[in-house]
Amino acid sequence: MLKQESLLTRLSRQKALQAMAIPGLIWMIVFNYIPMYGVIIAFKEYRVINTIGNAPWVGLTHFREIFRDTDFFLTMKNTLGISLLKLLIGFPLPIVFALLLNEIRTIRFKRWVQTVSYLPHFLSWVVLGGIMIPWLSETGFINELLTKINPGREAVPFLGRPEGFWMLSVLSDTWKEMGWGAIIYLAAMSGIPPELYEAAVVDGANRFHKMRYVTLPCIAGTITILLILAISGILNTNFEQMLVLNNPLNNDASNVIDLYVYRTGIRGLRFSYSTAVGLFKALIALVLLMGANGLSKKYQGRSLF
Amino acid sequence: MKKILQLLFVVFLLTAAFVPVFAGGGGDDLDLPAVSGEPLDPNVPGWTLDTSPVRFEWYLNFSWYRGIWGEDPVSRYVTEKTGVDIEFIIPAGNEADKLNTMIASGNLPDFVTIGWWEPQVKEIIAGGMVLPLDVLAKNYDPYFFKAAVPERVDWYTQEDGHIYCYPNASYTPGDYERNELTSNQTFLVRKDMYEALGSPDMSTPEGFLNALSQAQKKFPKVNGQPLIPIGFKEFSDTGNDSLENYLMNFLAIPMEKNGKLYDRFADPEYKRWLNVFREAQQRGLISSDVYLDRRTHMEEKIAQGRYFAMLYQYTDMRDAQGIRFAENPNTIYMAVDGPANAKGDPPRLAGQGIAGWTVTFISKTAKNPDRAIRFMSYLMSEEGQRDLYLGIKGLTWDVINGKESFLPKVQKLLKDDRAAFDKKYGASMKYWMLMDSPQVVKWEGQPESPYKELSEWTKPYTVSYAAYDNIDPLSFEPEGIIGSKLSSLWGKTLPKLLKAPSEKEFNAIWDELQAERKKLGLDKLMAYKQEKVNANKKKLGK
Repeated sequence: MLKQESLLTRLSRQKALQAMAIPGLIWMIVFNYIPMYGVIIAFKEYRVINTIGNAPWVGLTHFREIFRDTDFFLTMKNTLGISLLKLLIGFPLPIVFALLLNEIRTIRFKRWVQTVSYLPHFLSWVVLGGIMIPWLSETGFINELLTKINPGREAVPFLGRPEGFWMLSVLSDTWKEMGWGAIIYLAAMSGIPPELYEAAVVDGANRFHKMRYVTLPCIAGTITILLILAISGILNTNFEQMLVLNNPLNNDASNVIDLYVYRTGIRGLRFSYSTAVGLFKALIALVLLMGANGLSKKYQGRSLF
Repeated sequence: MKKILQLLFVVFLLTAAFVPVFAGGGGDDLDLPAVSGEPLDPNVPGWTLDTSPVRFEWYLNFSWYRGIWGEDPVSRYVTEKTGVDIEFIIPAGNEADKLNTMIASGNLPDFVTIGWWEPQVKEIIAGGMVLPLDVLAKNYDPYFFKAAVPERVDWYTQEDGHIYCYPNASYTPGDYERNELTSNQTFLVRKDMYEALGSPDMSTPEGFLNALSQAQKKFPKVNGQPLIPIGFKEFSDTGNDSLENYLMNFLAIPMEKNGKLYDRFADPEYKRWLNVFREAQQRGLISSDVYLDRRTHMEEKIAQGRYFAMLYQYTDMRDAQGIRFAENPNTIYMAVDGPANAKGDPPRLAGQGIAGWTVTFISKTAKNPDRAIRFMSYLMSEEGQRDLYLGIKGLTWDVINGKESFLPKVQKLLKDDRAAFDKKYGASMKYWMLMDSPQVVKWEGQPESPYKELSEWTKPYTVSYAAYDNIDPLSFEPEGIIGSKLSSLWGKTLPKLLKAPSEKEFNAIWDELQAERKKLGLDKLMAYKQEKVNANKKKLGK
């Protein structure tokens, strides 16, 4: 029988490993936990002339204002719309892509495809936006191409109108992140024992069968966990992307919560109100996370915690 | 579970240990050590008392500024003379983001220069983050009051009796009388195209729309790229300057009626002309790039001569105008009569005011406040102005025909290539933080083509709107929140008004806008501004 060790003995035995975790822990404390203290300004009327400590308490005033703010509902609609589309398109695509990559036999070709596919991940949105904006403009490359194919067609300022903006942002984000997102699934696939495939072949499985009955079930756990995380992040849109692509003409479709918080808070100097909006958002995200986690635990027996 | 609890406990302990770091700062009273020894002589410039080397950080709230102190002979000369070296801090991206972050951290550089209209001006005064210049002057440099212009000091003196910032490019009512006022608001057209169309009258809606569409028909492409029939200043979250106060001033919409502040945004004449722009949009005369381009894009396109007409600030296109002039003097932009109201009243363009352009503060966290105030007085004084405008005697200027003026080759470079001039000499107010525009007029040469025509054109129409400057509430005051909601509402609605497919829809959006503005508290904001206007008029002695 194993003897139960005390916490200290175990810590000292693992001190090398623990030491490696310390920088990460400190980082989290400094950048994630300490700033949490500042959240109390959502219940205060904080101005630059106060300190967080001595600003006057105003209770739930800011939260009440959220519900009277028509802008907030527009941003909520856009955030949810873009996120749901992203969940629908941007979530399954990396899985499909990883499955296809996994079937490539030539290692060199596979590596090449993989490298090419995740290169866009390393472009910042500022650079990518700088390329997209002229390409998608009325006289840009995309319109020119489409007019060549169909000469009767009128040029469309893709970024200069609210219609189609959601799709545009989801597609561009998916293109940028698909290769990167596939890495985690590929890692999960590499852990699948080859005996499973061999046994399937003996049972007469073809490649599609193997994909369907071996690979997919084996990475189901990874998919579930990532799905739970994706659902909890449904109120997060890609802030940088929106900041770059938003303009007065497509604002009705591109003004999302994060952008709204940034504008009222940093540019409008209404720190307390924008903190309240952010806190409200975090609260919904927490509920979504717990909900998705609970459902998955109940029906699949898999969960984050 | 127990493990997690232990961990959480540790985390909270650590959090508690860090928190006081963030709760500190601000609030304590002003405590300045006075200079020991005999009282200072107000006739002796303070900066002459101590010229040992000192370095200041100077924040400029203008991301486009490119100057580096010490890169040219003039700034090196000033450093040698006064011992003061400067490191400019310039925001890389959005100015408000940078400035607000510095304010929130409670740590401002020694000097801070921002536009007088920025909300942060009031924030940092109210937050006690800047030092009262009058107290500094009393303690360290009484000469400050000699260098300062009393009217400007009065204008910027706060309700607590202190003055915290000093303006540049400020014109007192006396200055208006000495120099004819000019405005930077102009309606510009490309000379060759305008003349090819027979110099049409563009002050009526029909003439305006006609000229734009004629131009588009006659000159569909400029160097292979589509002509932009009309351009404005850049669109932002809160609207578009050109289509707001520029247009209103061209239409001579009054600031007040019967002594009461007038809501210019609800004016029927203004509405009529916005509808004209809507029609231009509908007829394909406003390209979508106009809504999306930033100032740098615009300047590039102006330099290429791609606009036919612009409602624009000519001071923002000086370089582009120079490029056009060098390429072909016929393709420059010239100022002509722009949109006018139904009665055909002449425009009432905004001239320089007492508020000036930027204001400069000395922050509470300044390391050497004594040297800072002395350096500031130096820059404000005639000597400082001469050093930064004319530069170094013998190198950049001399007494020519009994007049202090630039040497001819210096003057030529200034006219031909401002960027090269800045690098080679650094004079002519490259460092404009405290430039006293009415004072430097005496050193300026005759204005030259192709720039002088633009400012000349504005002279008969320029008026002073000084009484309406500095009337906005603080951003966190109830009226300030109303103001920011109103401007973001306007910023969202303006493109919709212009993009409305028919006049009927335009009217519906307009009516909804006006109702919404009332609902958000327009009357309360107007009452606040009215009070400020009254106070301003008293200060101006009207």
